Amino acid sequence: MNTSDILDDINKVPGASGAVGPDSVLDVLAPAKEVPGILTALKKSGFGHLSFVTAKDLPSENLIELVYRLFSYVSRIDASVRTRLDRGNPSAPSVSGIFRTAEWHERETAEMFGVEFSGHPCPGKLLLPDGVEAPLRKDFKHEKMTPLPVV
Amino acid sequence: MPVQAPFELEKLSNKEYILNMGPQHPSTHGVLRVVLKLEGELVKDVFPDVGYIHSGVEKLCENRTYPAIVPYLDRLDYLGAVNLEWAYVLAVEKLCGIQVPERAEYIRVILAELNRIMSHLLWYSAFGMDVGALTPIFYAFREREEIIALMEAATGGRLTHNALRIGGFRSDLPKDFLPGLGRFLSSFERKVDEYEALLIDNVILKARTKGVGALDPELAVSYGVTGPSLRGSGPAWDLRRTAPYSVYGKLDFRVPTSEGRDTWSRLKVRMDEMRESAKILRQAAGALPSGEVSAKTPRVLKPAPGEAYSRVESPRGEFGAWVVSDGSERPYRVKFRSPSFSNLSVLREIAVGCNIADIIAIMGSLDLVIPEIDR
Amino acid sequence: MLHLLEALLYNPGVPLAGLAAKARALWAARGLPSPVLDLVFQLAIAATVSGFITVNALFIIWFDRKISALMQLRKGPNRVGPFGLLQTLADTLKLLSKEDINPLRIDPLAFWLAPLLVFIPSFAVFLVIPFGNGLIAGDLNIGILYILAISGLSVIGILSAGWGSNNKYSLIGGLRSAAQMVSYEVPMMLAILPVVMLTGSMRMGAIVDAQAGYGWFAFMQPVAFVIFLIAGNAEVNRAPFDLPEAESELVAGFNTEYSAMKFSIFFLAEYTNLFLTSAIAASLFLGGWEGPLLPPVVWFFLKTYFVITLLCWARWTFPRIRVDQLMQFSWKYLLPIALLNLLVSAAAMKLL
Repeated sequence: MNTSDILDDINKVPGASGAVGPDSVLDVLAPAKEVPGILTALKKSGFGHLSFVTAKDLPSENLIELVYRLFSYVSRIDASVRTRLDRGNPSAPSVSGIFRTAEWHERETAEMFGVEFSGHPCPGKLLLPDGVEAPLRKDFKHEKMTPLPVV
Repeated sequence: MPVQAPFELEKLSNKEYILNMGPQHPSTHGVLRVVLKLEGELVKDVFPDVGYIHSGVEKLCENRTYPAIVPYLDRLDYLGAVNLEWAYVLAVEKLCGIQVPERAEYIRVILAELNRIMSHLLWYSAFGMDVGALTPIFYAFREREEIIALMEAATGGRLTHNALRIGGFRSDLPKDFLPGLGRFLSSFERKVDEYEALLIDNVILKARTKGVGALDPELAVSYGVTGPSLRGSGPAWDLRRTAPYSVYGKLDFRVPTSEGRDTWSRLKVRMDEMRESAKILRQAAGALPSGEVSAKTPRVLKPAPGEAYSRVESPRGEFGAWVVSDGSERPYRVKFRSPSFSNLSVLREIAVGCNIADIIAIMGSLDLVIPEIDR
Repeated sequence: MLHLLEALLYNPGVPLAGLAAKARALWAARGLPSPVLDLVFQLAIAATVSGFITVNALFIIWFDRKISALMQLRKGPNRVGPFGLLQTLADTLKLLSKEDINPLRIDPLAFWLAPLLVFIPSFAVFLVIPFGNGLIAGDLNIGILYILAISGLSVIGILSAGWGSNNKYSLIGGLRSAAQMVSYEVPMMLAILPVVMLTGSMRMGAIVDAQAGYGWFAFMQPVAFVIFLIAGNAEVNRAPFDLPEAESELVAGFNTEYSAMKFSIFFLAEYTNLFLTSAIAASLFLGGWEGPLLPPVVWFFLKTYFVITLLCWARWTFPRIRVDQLMQFSWKYLLPIALLNLLVSAAAMKLL
């Protein structure tokens, strides 16, 4: 399966758009509920390795963008699947049934950004102590945080 | 951070009990807590609890300039420091469109492979101590001391090297680096054979590790396991071969794998990797071109808005740095994908049904470094 | 004068017996009851043996550390005293000055008695060790049986240490040790039996004397020698059989919760046991105190320390064996081989 076939399949999914971005990375933007389907299709076409699941906080657009980064050791192509979630109530389906590695990555993203992954087998904090909520959001405040002087 | 293990205490049968291999333990290689549900000596369930040294480095990096982030990478995996810095530096160079001169690429390869040998030697020593062999550490550290002396001459640091800069290097290798490297390599392969015969081929160790902790390759891939832990189960996935970065495409080396799937095959793969690294070092040192060691980079680095992810083969597996830039001199978001994070998540699958002693051996064979899990 | 010195060195039993006889005569002449004098003699012997144990422990720990250093490309202790010989003394003084921690909710009887229960059997076995010609504290007729019986008692000590510490790690260590010691008693016994059969007696003195005639039993019974060394190693909880105190798995196993004096007693007991195993191996298989030229005592120590060197060498080379493999090794391999050896030896003795 080559890139254009994959792109055709992806562009057929409602709301999704795929293109080959800079650095020959297959970039896909899709709505949250289509992500498991797209990932399953990509896994079938040889993208067996999920590198990470993480997010990016975009307060100016009131969005949290989830990023799934895949790699195919067979065809040596990188793929990045992105989805935009509403910042007030970010929720996405869990893909840990497709890639088991997503279990821990999603747990980490959930606690760092306050994203809820529905269908996750064992949600719960992974790295953070109690009392710290969504620290990677841009509006996170903690009394021990002091701004670094700008050099 | 400490969470209650999901073993409901009321549901424990009469013979089962919970043992906490707490954050302070001689063999958990750092601050890792593993809660075991045991029946006698048999392990029924494993719950790894991470987060004890979470320092929020990803958030910290959002408030640092691009060049100032490089030392943070050292501290994430202090054993394979140069490889980690390389991932980040590659990502930023992709964003800025900087082309690194060839001499710098070769020096990067030399330093990274030396770092890989260092890391594997320390893994060998620590693994020996975990299983009760208290002597190999002294032999392996002899070699390690030689490498550290070389790295210190080249970079200024013994453990946290802060070697790479965006665009190349701050200064060239010292004059006596290559002769010292040659001296080190002249006896290294013999030493690896000796160390293998001492520990890895030992009858007691083979009895303890063969057949223990079998990792199915498909399960491993699904759990995102990479590096020698994955190659010990079969798939020859090595980023230096499949997605060659820098000048690895020009170098000739094998990717050691093993079909054994168990703990022992992971050990064997790491010993073979040391030999391959020695091969790469010889080639790189021989092919080192002359020239500049740094590209021209602006004084204040402001990459164009965009994002870049680059992955390198660190001694533990795929380490990746995802950098998102918004055009200012500080990154918008930095994410570090660490190999030990995914390698540890597979522990539950492979550790159920073995002895307490086997848990130690399995964790040792996965070669975990906790700071890169917790970041 | 030279005669006396020669007698003392090479045949100390004779002058000592002469001295004891003179003392008895004097005592009886005063009309004092003789059992009291016997008691005084026994106490004197016990004091000598205790003094010896302490000094020997000091030396043997230093010896182990120097051997480990030799194999690990290091120097070992070399600061305190000449060649670092007083290092153990310094360590003992340090241990004595530490706080004696009693964890919460221990079982006081088990916790406090455990060090004694581990150390007393080792101490008691010294009764039958032949240090030289006639230098046995008490040459019992059932020497070997006594050794095996008494050294089995130290299992109780380790079990009570494991239980009394109120600590899961200690409990696991204690139970492992019980399983291990019980498993390795049998091959050890079966390895000693051919020697007893060849000698015709269980008396330690008789066994050593028999080797003067037969030659060393190590050459006549090599299999038994090897099995005894392995089983003896396991009995005294030394690597590669040191699971009960497996440092990297169980932190310190059954002596996790012990500090200061109690820990030093465990430590002392371990090295005393090492000496005992080596001394018994040297007496049973390497000819005891027999040897040309040098005084018997010197030969005894040379042979004992040779075996100690072998055991230390094994400790610092091999990784630790796993507990189920340990049991398998004992019951499935050592025991059948020892039995076979016994049968073959018996048959050979009958036929030849």
